[in-house]
Amino acid sequence: MNQTISESLAERVKAIPGGEMLMMCFSCGTCTSKCMIQEKLEPNYNPRRLIREAVFNYKEEAFADETTWLCSACDLCYPACPQKIHISGVITAIKQLAVAEGKQNPYQTAKVDEATCVACGLCVSVCPYEAISLVGKKVAFRGLIPVASVDPGKCMACGMCSAACRSTSIRLTEDFNDQQVIQDLWSWLERETI
Amino acid sequence: MVDAARQPLIEIKAFTEVEKVEGFVGNFKVTLREKAKYVRADRCNGCNACSLACPVEVPNYFEMNLSSRKAAYVPMSQSVPLIYSIDMDACIHCYKCVEACGSLQAIDFSMEDKVTEEDIGAIVVATGFSHFDPTPMTEYGYGRFPNVITAMEMERLNNSAGPTRGSLIRPSDNVKPKRLAIINCVGSRDKRYIQSCSNFCCMYAIKNALLLKQAIPDIDISIYYIDIRTPSKGYEEFYDRAREAGIKFIQGRPAEITEDPETHQLFIKSEDITLGRVVEHEYDMVMLNQAAIPQPDQDHMSSVLNVAQSPGGWFMEYHPKLRPMDSPTDGIFFAGACQGPKDIPASVAQGSAAAARASRILHSDTWQIEPTVAVVWPDRCVSAKGQSCGICDRACPYGAINYEKGFAAEVVTAKCHGCGACVGECPHDAVTQLHFTDAQVLSQIRTLLAVEPEKKILAFRCQWCSYGGADLAGTSHFEYSANERGLRVMCSARMDADLIFEAFRLGAGAILYSGCHPQDCHYITGQVAGAKRASRLEKMFERMGMSPGRFRTEWISAAEGDKYARVINEMQATLDEIPMEDLKAEIERLKPEMEKRLTKLNEIPGVEEALIQVDFIVNEMLGKAVNA
Repeated sequence: MNQTISESLAERVKAIPGGEMLMMCFSCGTCTSKCMIQEKLEPNYNPRRLIREAVFNYKEEAFADETTWLCSACDLCYPACPQKIHISGVITAIKQLAVAEGKQNPYQTAKVDEATCVACGLCVSVCPYEAISLVGKKVAFRGLIPVASVDPGKCMACGMCSAACRSTSIRLTEDFNDQQVIQDLWSWLERETI
Repeated sequence: MVDAARQPLIEIKAFTEVEKVEGFVGNFKVTLREKAKYVRADRCNGCNACSLACPVEVPNYFEMNLSSRKAAYVPMSQSVPLIYSIDMDACIHCYKCVEACGSLQAIDFSMEDKVTEEDIGAIVVATGFSHFDPTPMTEYGYGRFPNVITAMEMERLNNSAGPTRGSLIRPSDNVKPKRLAIINCVGSRDKRYIQSCSNFCCMYAIKNALLLKQAIPDIDISIYYIDIRTPSKGYEEFYDRAREAGIKFIQGRPAEITEDPETHQLFIKSEDITLGRVVEHEYDMVMLNQAAIPQPDQDHMSSVLNVAQSPGGWFMEYHPKLRPMDSPTDGIFFAGACQGPKDIPASVAQGSAAAARASRILHSDTWQIEPTVAVVWPDRCVSAKGQSCGICDRACPYGAINYEKGFAAEVVTAKCHGCGACVGECPHDAVTQLHFTDAQVLSQIRTLLAVEPEKKILAFRCQWCSYGGADLAGTSHFEYSANERGLRVMCSARMDADLIFEAFRLGAGAILYSGCHPQDCHYITGQVAGAKRASRLEKMFERMGMSPGRFRTEWISAAEGDKYARVINEMQATLDEIPMEDLKAEIERLKPEMEKRLTKLNEIPGVEEALIQVDFIVNEMLGKAVNA
């Protein structure tokens, strides 16, 4: 275990499927200027900088970088990259390493209500990021049962699982829970019809 | 060009295609097709009257289709020789040009293509390069946005003989642009299109920017780049001059160009890497500095000339560092960008070198080649007996073997470079290589393994790389096992499987199969053939149950003396790990397997006699009694 931690961040990212091409980046900046998250959400978002931080082993900076946590893996940058680097793959790899080292995702991820989850596996099959798996877990008042479990290193908070779940046991918190979305929808419909 | 036309010893054959090249150095037979111009060269005086009279207008290819030309035309006003031609695809046969030509009677609609065969001593290929069409890169909008133009279109717009008489205007509204952007690496350095760097575009962008700045002093020019590459003499100074002139350089590859559909203004979005943030600037006009690519008919030329192509499609040189102007075929030389993108000074240097090389051939009555050429025994070649084979032909990296079913394969000696790939590949031992005949190499193997063969490491080394590596290990005093016995052949492609079997049959402890690294092979694809064979042998020996490590393949360059010493020491260590009794038992066990594959060895001319002599000499030297 000690040996893996002493390895440089770049080596560890390269070892994760999706992160192999990391070192090929020649810093042209196409990914950053292509990115919708950079344009619409977070001006400081910069995949090129994150890759550089990983290459030069600035681990803490890389793990604290918004880019690590905000990428939605939309892959707009992938076909634009002249070096054919799967950038979202690299970012996901960095995120997984951050979670493995105990870093918290500062943004929200899907949460499972273990009291009601029936482990039907619908959420597992719809998750585009393969972030959900069924695990055996000891739940209060229910004993050791299988329940869905979200890997915060992979979850991109898209809400697909929440839409698919038939027992409303998995959801995004606060602004994006079912009630909130339905309410938003109604207010929008009323406004439009008038 | 005009100078060349005036020189009596130079004949320019314009509008002529090379159809076929046969023969070899000093004795090429070249078939040329002189295309019909429908204007007689001996009568046309280039007066332009036919062109003025011609009513047909077609897009002018030379002007990047920015203007039109007539069906009776010359490609450009400075054409040499200045003889008009009639574009039959566009001509409507109104014969107004015949009338206009009048008493000169130069126009002749009955002309036909003329095919001639000429004896040629040496060939210099200078077919140049072509341009990447940026239409597939939809993010830059070329073809959709009128004000996004390519470098060649810019070249014509900025040329005083061009369609606008040298005044730069933007195509959407014919207004002089105030803000211009140049984007570098469009298509080049891009794994989706052209992987390589096109060499001269950075300087080309700077040159264009400076020229435009001189013509329009108040123009604002920005150059978008990934890296600026200005490596030659005076180039960095030129780059500095551009900065002094106020040209802006933005490091960052633009992701997207967008357009205001009404004003046709363009917006480039890119990351400004030095600022570390995304910027969007507005421009009146954008020039895409597109990649240099091989000519569209380069593949065809490559098969006509029988000259291989490098990855990327350029013609392949004999050696990338030492002989960049020579083709692998003696007597064919390269000048300029047909061999790889290069700028004017490099093209001139290569062209002059190619001319000097060619004149060396033209001035000599005889031509020296390597003495290690391949020779076919016609009576052993199965093709002569009517079987399909052609393995030697496919193995030859130089196309020096003529194979036709029903006839014995034939080596064109003047084309052969002596790698021995055909010898190694021929399954019927019908080819041999002078100075490296089977008899000679087998004699060496016999001698090297005469005493205690099970302790020996027999190293097959290629002349150019691993032999040099072993030599360097010696001169650098790197210690390696004294049990190593080296054997030189020209290329790893010559290391015939028979030689390996024979060495193991004689009881060799271990065998090293070594040669150049794949990209360094001195015989184009020799190493590839060698490597294929080595991996086949490795698998075969594994199936036979040979101890791993007794047969080893390593690619060692002439600079890797330390690697050579390390590999030999590692092999010695592997050998030491096998107990001697086990090793001897294994050798005995595998002997019949090897013999099974060597039944025809003694049939090879000269082998039996040579081996008898070798045994005699070896025994004599070992002081043993010989019974005759």
